[in-house]
Amino acid sequence: MSYLTDNQNKDYLLMGNEAIARGALEGAVSVASGYPGTPSSEIIEALSSVAKERNLYVEWSINEKVALEVAAAASFAGLRAMCVMKQNGVNVASDFLLHLASSGTRGGMILVACDDPGALSSVNEGESRTFARLVEIPLLEPGDFQEAKDITKWAFELSEEIRNLVMIRSVTRMSHASGNVRYGQLPDTHARANFRFDGPLSDPETGPVVSMIVGASELQHGPQQEKIKKAAEIFEDCPFNTYEGPEKPELLIITSSACNLYTREAISLLDVKDRVGILKLATTWPLPPKLMKRHLSCTDRILVVEEVLPILEENIKILAAEMAHEIGPKTFYGKNAGNIPSIGELNPDIVASALSSILDVRYETGSERFAEEAMLLVETMAPVRGLTMCPGCPHRASLWSIHNALEMDGRKGFVCGDIGCYVAGVFPGGFNTVKTLHSMGSGSGIASGFGKFKQFGMDQPVVAVCGDSTFFHAAMPALANAIHHKSPFTLMILDNRGAAMTGFQPHPGTPVNAMGEETPSLDIAEICRAMGAKVEIRDPFDLEETQQTIHHLIEHQEGTKVLILRQACALSPERKDKPKYKMEVDEEVCLGENCGCNRFCTRIFACPGLLWDEEKGVSKINDIICVGCGVCADICPAGAIKREEVV
Amino acid sequence: MNVLGSNELSENVINRNLCTGCGACIDLCPYFKSYRGKTAMLFSCALPQGRCFAYCPRLEVDLDYLSEKYFERPYNSDPLGFYKSIVTSRAGKKFTGNNFQSGGTVSAIMYFALEKGYVDGAVLTGQESILPIPRIVMNPEDVLSCTLSRYTAAPTLSAVNRAIEEGLSRIGIVSTPCQTLSTAMLRANPLGEKDFTDPVGLVVGIFCTWALDFRVFEPFIASRVDINTITKIDIPPPPAEAMEIYTNNGNKIQIPLEEIRNLVPDTCSYCMDMTSEFSDISVGVLEGDPGKNTLIIRTERGKMIVDEAAREGYLIVDDMPEINLEHLKWAAGNKKKKALLKARKNGMVNNRGKDKISYIRLNNETLEEIIV
Ligand SMILES: Cc1cc2nc3c(=O)[nH]c(=O)nc-3n(C[C@H](O)[C@H](O)[C@H](O)COP(=O)(O)OP(=O)(O)OC[C@H]3O[C@@H](n4cnc5c(N)ncnc54)[C@H](O)[C@@H]3O)c2cc1C
Ligand code: SF4
Ligand code: SF4
Ligand code: SF4
Ligand code: SF4
Repeated sequence: MSYLTDNQNKDYLLMGNEAIARGALEGAVSVASGYPGTPSSEIIEALSSVAKERNLYVEWSINEKVALEVAAAASFAGLRAMCVMKQNGVNVASDFLLHLASSGTRGGMILVACDDPGALSSVNEGESRTFARLVEIPLLEPGDFQEAKDITKWAFELSEEIRNLVMIRSVTRMSHASGNVRYGQLPDTHARANFRFDGPLSDPETGPVVSMIVGASELQHGPQQEKIKKAAEIFEDCPFNTYEGPEKPELLIITSSACNLYTREAISLLDVKDRVGILKLATTWPLPPKLMKRHLSCTDRILVVEEVLPILEENIKILAAEMAHEIGPKTFYGKNAGNIPSIGELNPDIVASALSSILDVRYETGSERFAEEAMLLVETMAPVRGLTMCPGCPHRASLWSIHNALEMDGRKGFVCGDIGCYVAGVFPGGFNTVKTLHSMGSGSGIASGFGKFKQFGMDQPVVAVCGDSTFFHAAMPALANAIHHKSPFTLMILDNRGAAMTGFQPHPGTPVNAMGEETPSLDIAEICRAMGAKVEIRDPFDLEETQQTIHHLIEHQEGTKVLILRQACALSPERKDKPKYKMEVDEEVCLGENCGCNRFCTRIFACPGLLWDEEKGVSKINDIICVGCGVCADICPAGAIKREEVV
Repeated sequence: MNVLGSNELSENVINRNLCTGCGACIDLCPYFKSYRGKTAMLFSCALPQGRCFAYCPRLEVDLDYLSEKYFERPYNSDPLGFYKSIVTSRAGKKFTGNNFQSGGTVSAIMYFALEKGYVDGAVLTGQESILPIPRIVMNPEDVLSCTLSRYTAAPTLSAVNRAIEEGLSRIGIVSTPCQTLSTAMLRANPLGEKDFTDPVGLVVGIFCTWALDFRVFEPFIASRVDINTITKIDIPPPPAEAMEIYTNNGNKIQIPLEEIRNLVPDTCSYCMDMTSEFSDISVGVLEGDPGKNTLIIRTERGKMIVDEAAREGYLIVDDMPEINLEHLKWAAGNKKKKALLKARKNGMVNNRGKDKISYIRLNNETLEEIIV
């Protein structure tokens, strides 16, 4: 039994994502789907760990769009369903999302989007909240860990009441930080799936479920907007919208999500709780007008604190403009006025600084010295490393061979990349190999384009890289496009046996599913062959053979080729704590900084398992970090790095 | 000698298309590699001084220093460099090979030197398909696998670096003039290493007016003949004016030299040496007689080995006709003058001052004599 399914009414220390999962369980979820992505992944992981016990169906889908479709099917069949993804994933799912919002749902359905302000583990800090307004569905933002659970449960009820999807938006500091959560009751689950479609098209309960009927917007778009109006009415009394502070505050702060926590801390730092009030909104779209009017009437000065873009701020301003004759003119502080930045993650310090200037109170930024000292500590105690891959990472070996082959080839070939641990390929840690980097699978699509520009005089070899999970997620259509259009490039699929970056979630190429059951694994090589590509498979740890193969593949730029570089991730269950070799540097043989080497292993190859011994002027293996892949033995020009097979 | 590092090498030579692809900087370390005839720097090594720079025949070639070292006097303006004698030659009866470029002199001498132990290994240039491949040959018989000329630049000297690494101490080298120059620099211990010993036993230089870029030559040839059927590529001595390609179905394809000359890489126009002036002996074709070689004997050691090879029947030598010598001098002098003028025009000769890198350094008197 997992602590997630305890049925006692007491406090548990939960990570925000676990709180959301618990909320889903208390809300009688039956089906959960998602695609891995930081900071969202733990929600599906938590649910899959109790899937059997709670009779759930949980899956890691091939991509976010399919995940949303799977969850929608559950809702159509009357089940409660949840779909989870990171903010970038909402972009992927957005095509279906618009249709789904239009067709409506049956069983309560929630889309959980986890944003990553500051792009701590993303390639951008895109806003998923805009989608709620764009597709006209309600948006909820929990303001603490308890709410993360409670709002999730409540969202199912809301969804069923308005017969449409409800979006919950979390952020990294909400999803990944932990706090006390008081459990509620877990329901008995006897959910039955039944998809009804015999009724008339116009009946949302019994008819076929279709998105907009061509040329008849009144039939569906009209009712959809009624739903959002209804949501706004419900939001007027939503228990998760709270106000704290004086009756007539000097300044009203309106905030949501993790910013609620930062704001509270900032107020106590400045000791201004008698002067300011906090309206913490959980229902950030649509805004409940009456509630907003009540609070806006109490003061003339309003500060909006939110991450990342001024979305809440703008929606409030629209309301304030509409109500101006009743509530009078207001002074707004926030992003547009420049008090709060429109990029990056906020923190109590940023909010306190904004408050100190607005309220004209002194704020000693003690944190500045603290930050300095912390940096100093970090610098003296931890080795300085650029963004790189783990010790023994197969991507390092793959990028090494790709880099060397392209340099030796000398025709200015380049690599189009996408999202995965191999984003380090943009930096020296990945030998500066990757020259374009965008969304999942986009390296393959971009390469498909580059390959076709021979008629404009472009004849550089073009290479794309994608991961095994990314291949299924988004690279397959790009590959099909390239093959069909005879675009000459080589797609290198860095197959490390799972979605390693986010924690080894399975994908269609792995032999288990999210719930640990055996599943057929799809053979990437056979798929590519069937599509019509010439396919080679190599072990990237065999540097010599890999590089020769790459030379061979890129030499003549004809046709679309696939090279599968297959080697398990260093952190994967099959390799973790199972070093293949015991490594050692022979100090007598090591050339060190002399002509002939100049620290090739530590300076250029730079696996973190290798260290430079300043005193002795030789390299050495850091036994604690080295995972014994043995690759560095093959790059040492002197043969000083010895490997001995571990038996 | 002025020696810097790999960054300066890549900046001044590779990035400016002056690299001859000689291979002197290859296999010293992991930073430089040769692939399909082209040298590439994979990463920046950033050492302030290194062998790559020191050996490169396109950087800081101090002709007076080298002349003093090998011929005990400053560089002079003789179009053929310093030599003892010039003769004609061809392989003798003791040497059993037959598929030579011309007289087989080069192969016969290397065979002889290996057999007698004058060299403990020979660095030659063989081929795979038509791509030249550097080889270290230990067995006299294997000299036969590397006969004939590859008219594309080859990273031959990478095999010298490997041979040294493998511990050979009397290496025999067959090298084109740029490679011969680089070998002379290597033997001069440019980095002043303490326990240095000259690892070279014999340098047989070959004549050269240009070598093509493999990457240009291969598609050029492939568009005319199936590469897999080629048995020999020849440029017979003047007055013939064509490249001849023989195939295994008995065909002979002729390509006018005019067309080939269009493919000559720019770096060859900077090369002032036609006859491998810093070798022990130099060998070229003999004008008017495709079955014989021109043989220039330059050093004591070269003379000793040639004499002995002739005495023992490995080599047949004869007098050099005066008219041939005149033509040879004219051609070599012409190449030298044109190259020096071009190098000087581009600011690559005798640069003075700190951080000023030169390609060639030589005394002013000789410089003036050559370029008049
Ligand atoms: C690129 C090139 C250009 C030449 N240009 C001229 C010229 O303008 N005038 C002239 O008189 N002679 C020139 N020669 C020399 C000529 O072709 C013969 O090599 C020479 O006459 C020796 O003949 P041989 O019968 O003794 O050679 P063989 O006994 O057949 O031996 C040939 C030798 O040449 C070496 N070799 C072959 N290809 C290369 C290469 N690409 N780089 C380095 N070594 C190589 C082999 O290692 C072999 O030992 C040139 C040679 C080359 C390789
Ligand atoms: S064997 Fe070498 S490359 Fe592999 S993890 Fe250890 S130090 Fe790194
Ligand atoms: S690559 Fe080899 S020789 Fe060079 S520093 Fe590392 S261990 Fe020493
Ligand atoms: S300096 Fe030495 S180690 Fe560095 S690139 Fe040159 S030869 Fe290699
Ligand atoms: S040493 Fe030879 S191969 Fe290397 S850069 Fe100089 S000319 Fe080119």
